[in-house]
Amino acid sequence: MLINNLNILIGLEVHTQLTKLRSKLFCPTPADYRKSPPNTYVCPICLGLPGTLPVVNKKAVEYAIAVAKALNCEVSDKLVFVRKHYFYPDLPKNYQISQYIGPGFTAIARNGYVKIYADGKVKIIRIRRVNIEEDPGRIVYVGSIEISPYSLIDYNRSGIALLEIVTEPDMASPKEARAFLEKLIAILEYLGVTDPREEGAFRVDANISFEGFGRVEIKNIGSVKDVEKALTYEIIRQKKIIEQGGKVERETRHWNPSKGVTVSLRSKEYEEDYRYFPDPDLPPMKLDKSLIERISSALPELPDNRIARFTMQYGLDEYRASVLVLNKWLADFFEDAAKIYSNYKKLADLLITDFLRWINEYNLSPENFKATPLHIVKLLKLWDEGILSVKMVKEILPQIIKDGIDVESYVAASGYVKIIDKSYLHKIVEEVMKEHPKAVQDALSNPKAINYLIGLVMKKTGGKADPQITKEIIQEILSSIR
Amino acid sequence: MQESDVIDYLERLALLKFTESEREKVRIEITKIIELFNELMKVEELDRVEPLYHVIEIELPLRDDEPLDTVDSSHELLSENAILENGYIKAPKTVGE
Amino acid sequence: MSYKYLSMPVYRLLQEFKTDPMKIFDYLELVYKVINGTENKIRSFITLISKDIVFKYVEKLVKEGLEKFDSLKLLGIPIAVKDNISTKGIRTTCASRMLENYIPPYNATVIERIIKEGGIIIGKTNMDEFAMGSTTETSAFYPTRNPWDLSRVPGGSSGGSAAALSAGEAPLALGSDTGGSIRNPAAFCGVYGLKPTYGLVSRYGLIAYASSMDQIGPMARNTMDLAILLNIIAGHDSKDSTSLLINGKDYVSLLKELTHKEPRLRIGIIKELFENSDEGIRSKTYKAVDMLCAYHDCLTISLPYGKQLVAAYYIIAMAEASSNLARFDGVRYGLKIPFENKGWDEIYSEVRTKGFGYEVKKRIALGAYILSVGYRDMYYIRALKFRRILKETFDKIFKSVDAVMSPTMPILPPKLGEFFEDPLRMYLADVNTVIANLIGVPAISIPIDFYNGLPVAVQIMSRQLTEEVLLYLSMQLEEKTRFRNIVAEVH
Repeated sequence: MLINNLNILIGLEVHTQLTKLRSKLFCPTPADYRKSPPNTYVCPICLGLPGTLPVVNKKAVEYAIAVAKALNCEVSDKLVFVRKHYFYPDLPKNYQISQYIGPGFTAIARNGYVKIYADGKVKIIRIRRVNIEEDPGRIVYVGSIEISPYSLIDYNRSGIALLEIVTEPDMASPKEARAFLEKLIAILEYLGVTDPREEGAFRVDANISFEGFGRVEIKNIGSVKDVEKALTYEIIRQKKIIEQGGKVERETRHWNPSKGVTVSLRSKEYEEDYRYFPDPDLPPMKLDKSLIERISSALPELPDNRIARFTMQYGLDEYRASVLVLNKWLADFFEDAAKIYSNYKKLADLLITDFLRWINEYNLSPENFKATPLHIVKLLKLWDEGILSVKMVKEILPQIIKDGIDVESYVAASGYVKIIDKSYLHKIVEEVMKEHPKAVQDALSNPKAINYLIGLVMKKTGGKADPQITKEIIQEILSSIR
Repeated sequence: MQESDVIDYLERLALLKFTESEREKVRIEITKIIELFNELMKVEELDRVEPLYHVIEIELPLRDDEPLDTVDSSHELLSENAILENGYIKAPKTVGE
Repeated sequence: MSYKYLSMPVYRLLQEFKTDPMKIFDYLELVYKVINGTENKIRSFITLISKDIVFKYVEKLVKEGLEKFDSLKLLGIPIAVKDNISTKGIRTTCASRMLENYIPPYNATVIERIIKEGGIIIGKTNMDEFAMGSTTETSAFYPTRNPWDLSRVPGGSSGGSAAALSAGEAPLALGSDTGGSIRNPAAFCGVYGLKPTYGLVSRYGLIAYASSMDQIGPMARNTMDLAILLNIIAGHDSKDSTSLLINGKDYVSLLKELTHKEPRLRIGIIKELFENSDEGIRSKTYKAVDMLCAYHDCLTISLPYGKQLVAAYYIIAMAEASSNLARFDGVRYGLKIPFENKGWDEIYSEVRTKGFGYEVKKRIALGAYILSVGYRDMYYIRALKFRRILKETFDKIFKSVDAVMSPTMPILPPKLGEFFEDPLRMYLADVNTVIANLIGVPAISIPIDFYNGLPVAVQIMSRQLTEEVLLYLSMQLEEKTRFRNIVAEVH
C-alpha cells in the first residue's frame, strides 16, 4: 500500500469557554468558579432543579457574534437554542442547551475560514459552524477511575458559556492543526472574549482519517501541544494498521497525555441519537443586521490585520510579524519597545528567538516576567554601541527576564565600561582612518604617530574604546596597508 | 417500529424498563396510540405550512451579564436532596461495571 | 365562626379579615375542621401543612404586617397548591416516587407573589404523576375522590386542587394546565378554573411536563375569586423567557367594568364538540348556550378536526416530556438507590424504572421515540405543522367571533378505574380542552348544572390575552345559574 501518497484529513472541534463573562450562560451565577470549593458556584438553574428555566446572557451572544465575524463566518439571522439529549451525571438536565443545524433550528454562524501559515505557505482552513452552548459540570474520582466505587461531581462549571467551533477536515498534518489552533487562540485573545490559558478553558476534539479509511475521533484534548502529539501518535498507529492491510475502526479514542498514547473508549453499542429539538423554554430571536453590524464595526485589530501592519510599519517579513502577533503580549511588548528603538528587525529577532525561549524556559507568563520594553531597548543600545558583545547580550538577557535587573547598572558593576567589541571597534577605526589620511601616512612611517590615531578613536567613542584593543586593530590595518 | 421487539427498542432509547406485566399492557396501548397519531396523516394541507414551535410570538429576552453577589457556600441548595462528600455530589461511576 | 363562612367568597373574606385580622384564625380553624372531616375520604392533599405551623405563620404575619394590611390582596386566604409548583422548604412531589422526598430550596414565582400578598399556603394537592393523566389516578400515592360522588374521579391532573375547593377544604387553589388539567377537574368537581394565555403566568418553578403548553392558572368557587387570584399571579417575570411583557392588567376591575357595561359579544358555538358529547352533557350545556345567546350574538361554527387534535397534542406533550423528565436521575435530588460499584447507565435506568409510574414511563418512552431520527418527521414535525394549521384556523374564527364555546368535557366524571382498561378513551376525552394549549389562547371552565348529581361545565376560549372576556362571560353565566360558592357535602 502506497501509504505515503494517501491524504490525511484532520478536522477539529474546539470548545472554548467565554472566560471574560462575569456570569454563566443561562443564570446569574458568577462565572469565576475556578479555585472555589465544589458545588458553591451554583444556583437552582445551573443545578437543573425541577421547575427552573434558562435566561440567556446577552454578552455571550455578542461575544459569539464577534467570534463569528472574526472567523469570517456568515452570522445567522436568528438565534435558536436546541436541546441535545444524552444521559450523563455531569449534565444536570441530562440534556445540554446547545445549537445545531436542522429543521427549525440553526447555529449562530457558519461557513467561515481562518488563514494559517504552514511551511511558509498560506493555507485556508474552513470553519463549518460556531455554536453557543453550556458547559457541563466536572466528574472526579477518588483514587483512580478503575477502582473508585462511585464518582464525585462538581457543578461549579455547569452552565458556563462555551463556544463550539467546528472546522472542515482541511488540515493535512498535526503541524497544520497546531498552526490553526494557535491562530484561533490568538483571534480569541485579540477579541478579549476568553483567556485560553485558564485551566480547562480550551478543549479540543480531533477527527483524523487517511482518505478512504475509517475516521477516528480523539476526545477532549486539553492543550495545543497535546493535540499535535495525539494526532502524530494516531497517524503512526493508523499507518501501521493500513500497511498491514487492516481496517481502521471508526471509533472514539481518548488521549492519555501522561502515557502519550490514544486509547479506545468502550464503544457504545448503538449510534448516539441526540434527539435535537428547539428548546421550548427559549423562543427564537431575530438577529438583525444592525446588531451584527454594530458588533462587527467595533471589532479590535485582529491578528491578520496586525501582521499586515507590522510588515508595512516596521518592515518585518511575514514570518517575523506572525510569530510576534500570534503571541499578543509579545506583539504588544514589541510595539512598546519600537517607540523608543528603531532597529525593528534587530528588536524582533531578539524577541522571537532568545527572549521567547527564556520566557518558555522559566515557564513565565506574560503577567509575571520582569523585563520591560525599556530594559530590552537599553540592552540593544549597549549592543549597538559595542559595549556588549553578542555573547554578553545572551548572558545578560535571562537575568533581565527573570530578575528584572537594570542592564546599565549591571554593566557598570561588571566593569563592562570599555568598548571591547572588536568588530565594532574595527568599524570605528576604519572611519577615523578614512577621515584622517594624513595621520595614517604619518603612522605608517612613524610608529609613535599611532597614538594620535588612538586619540582620535577615543574621541569618537567618548573615551570608551579599550586602548589596547584599539591599538592592536590599528596596527593590524597598518600592516595590511604596507 | 420494525425492531424485533418494540418494547426492547423503547427501553433502550429512553433508558428505562417496564415490568413483565407492564410489557404486555404497554405493547397493546402503544399500538393504539400510534394508530391515533397516524390520524394526522389524514390532514391534507400539512405540507403547505412550517412547523409551529412556539405559540406566542415573542422575541427571546436577553439578560445583562450581571452576576449575583452571593454563592452557595454552605450548600443550602443541595444538602437536603443530594449525598455530599467534601462538597462533591456522590453519583454512580461513569465507566465500567 | 359558623359554617356560613365556608361558602363565603374570597372577596368577602378579605373584607372581614381587614376589619378584624383575628378572624383569619377563626376561618383557618373552620377550614381545618372541614379538612379533618373530609380529607380521609377525598384525599385532596399530598402534603398538608399542620394547623400549628400555619397558625404560627399567620401570627407572625399579623404581628409584622398590621400597617400594610390594606394593601395585601390575599391577606389570610388559605390556598391549596398543586404539587408540581415548587414551594421552598415544602416537599414538592409531582405525585411521584421519584420526588417523594424532594424539598425545593426555592419558590416558584407564583408562590413568591402569593406570599407577598399575604396568602397562606396550606398544602400541596394531589395530581396525576407529573401531570400525566386526566383522573388523578396516576398519582403514585393514592387517588383523589370526587366530592360529589366518592366512587368517581375528580378529573385531572389538578384533581386534588379541584376536589379541595369543592369539598370546602380551601377557598382558592392553583392548578396547572397542559392539555386541560385545570379545566377538566374544575368541570368534574363543579368549580371554576382558568387556563391563562400561554406566557401570561410565569412558569418559573412549575415542574415542567410539556413546556410549550404548560400554564399555571387559578381555580375557585366563583368567577370574582378567579379574577382575584389571576391578578396576583399574572404578569411578566424575567426568570421565564416565555413570559409575555404584560403588566398591570387589573382583572378584578375589568370584570366589574364589563359586568356593569355588559357589552354584546359575538360567540361561536363549536357544533361538533357538542354533538360528540355524551347525552347528559349535551342537554345541559345547550342550556348554557341558550342563556348566553339570549343576550349575545351567537353563530354556529364548524371545526373539521377531532382525533387529530388529540394526536397532535399527545405527540408534542410526550416529546417535550421525554426531554423534561430526563433530569430525574437521583443525583442532585430525587429517588436514591444504592449505586456503588454500578455503572451510570444501569443506575439511571433503575432509578427511572423505580421512580416513575407506568403512565409516565410510557409517555417518556413514546416521547423519545417520537423525537428519534427515524420518526421525528413522521410524528413530531407533522404535529407541529398541524399546530400551525389549527392556529390559523382559530385566528380566522377569532376574526368573526370574540369567544368560542363548547362543553369542557364530553363525558361525566368516570368511576375510579374505569379508564385503566382503555387509556385511549381517556386521551380522547381531552379533545375539547387541548385546543387552547395547542394554540396558546386562554380558556375557562364554568360549572353550570348537575346531571344525575354530577357537575356539568362549559368551556369558553377567547383570543390571546383576553382573559377578561372569559371572566365576564363566566360571571354572566354565574348570575344565571346561581352556581356560586357551592360546597359538596361529603358523605
